[in-house]
Amino acid sequence: MTVLILTGEEDVTADMVVVHLNASGVPVVRLDPADLPGGVALSGEYVHGSFRGHLSSGGRLVSIEGLRSVWVRRPGTPAARAAMPSAWLTEESAQALYGMLRGCGARWMNHPDAARRARHKPWQLRLAQRCGLPVPATLITTFPQAAQEFAERYPDLVVKPVSGAHPQDPPRAVPTSRVAPDADFSAVAFGPTLLQRRIAKRADIRLTVVGDRMLAARKECDPESEVDVRFAVSDAPWRPVDMPPRTAERVRSYVRTADLAYGAFDFAEDADGTWWFLECNQSGQFGFVEVETGQPIARGIAEWLAQPAARRQARVNGANTAVP
Amino acid sequence: MQPFALNYARPAAESEATAAYVYDSGLQLNVLLDGRIAACDHSLIRELGTTTSTAGSKTHFDD
Repeated sequence: MTVLILTGEEDVTADMVVVHLNASGVPVVRLDPADLPGGVALSGEYVHGSFRGHLSSGGRLVSIEGLRSVWVRRPGTPAARAAMPSAWLTEESAQALYGMLRGCGARWMNHPDAARRARHKPWQLRLAQRCGLPVPATLITTFPQAAQEFAERYPDLVVKPVSGAHPQDPPRAVPTSRVAPDADFSAVAFGPTLLQRRIAKRADIRLTVVGDRMLAARKECDPESEVDVRFAVSDAPWRPVDMPPRTAERVRSYVRTADLAYGAFDFAEDADGTWWFLECNQSGQFGFVEVETGQPIARGIAEWLAQPAARRQARVNGANTAVP
Repeated sequence: MQPFALNYARPAAESEATAAYVYDSGLQLNVLLDGRIAACDHSLIRELGTTTSTAGSKTHFDD
């Protein structure tokens, strides 16, 4: 049975997983929905109470019923590279491709429904709270007065996009940023604004969850440095770190409730060693962590994609530690 | 009329790195000019930064 990977050609992070799948002899078909129709073709037949479907890409033909798993890694927008692209063709192509795949019974990393829900940052914060993970005091509002009052309660704040997305017209980046003490919050009325108590962090934590495996990495930082680790200039390396068992238990509750097979959690570690939940990216990057730490994330993903849907023993920190 | 969060926006950084590899549809992998598999060259991947979180990504915000 075949592993289907939905991603762009330039995705060298996906390559890291394909290498492991190839080494273990697991058939792989990799395609980008942006090439449907064109370089990617599909056909599905619903006749006499049964379904037969096929996908074709790069000279490979695979039966949809013969898929063991689907890895939704970094797929392009369906039909984006069609000869005559249009919003209508994108919707037609998306419905055909994902509609057929949803019915095939393969295991997903991650299922589109779970992924769609898990992208909502406000939902993440609430789920983290329910799972017992420490969440910094947060306000999402369009009321300037509410923002002002929140700033009086929590004078040291950061602001970041609610969606995590960045504006493209023109292209700009909106990093997590410290809010000036004398900030004027009147512009809060012009868009939902996420304000959060700043954690004076001594380290960033990236926790990568693959199925039952949890691999945590830690990067030390100056508490007064750039808030957003993606923008911080730092020579400090990412290093593997053991995670507190209680945190592991709570994260496991999170991914179980979110129905995620993969998640990249970001935490801020404060001076007391507390890991504060910031977000969980359901398709977060992992290549940079593996390259720096040597943690076997790609291998873990490959093994998850290759295995049948049987329960596996829980493993934490890359060891065989069983967690209840 | 600009939303509050955009007061903190910065110009998106354009990657100046030129990909040192090309996609091989037969292998379903990116390969270097000398034929080696790009994903196996961790020092190159680190140098190019192609597997890092990409703040400001045009197409994906799950970084």
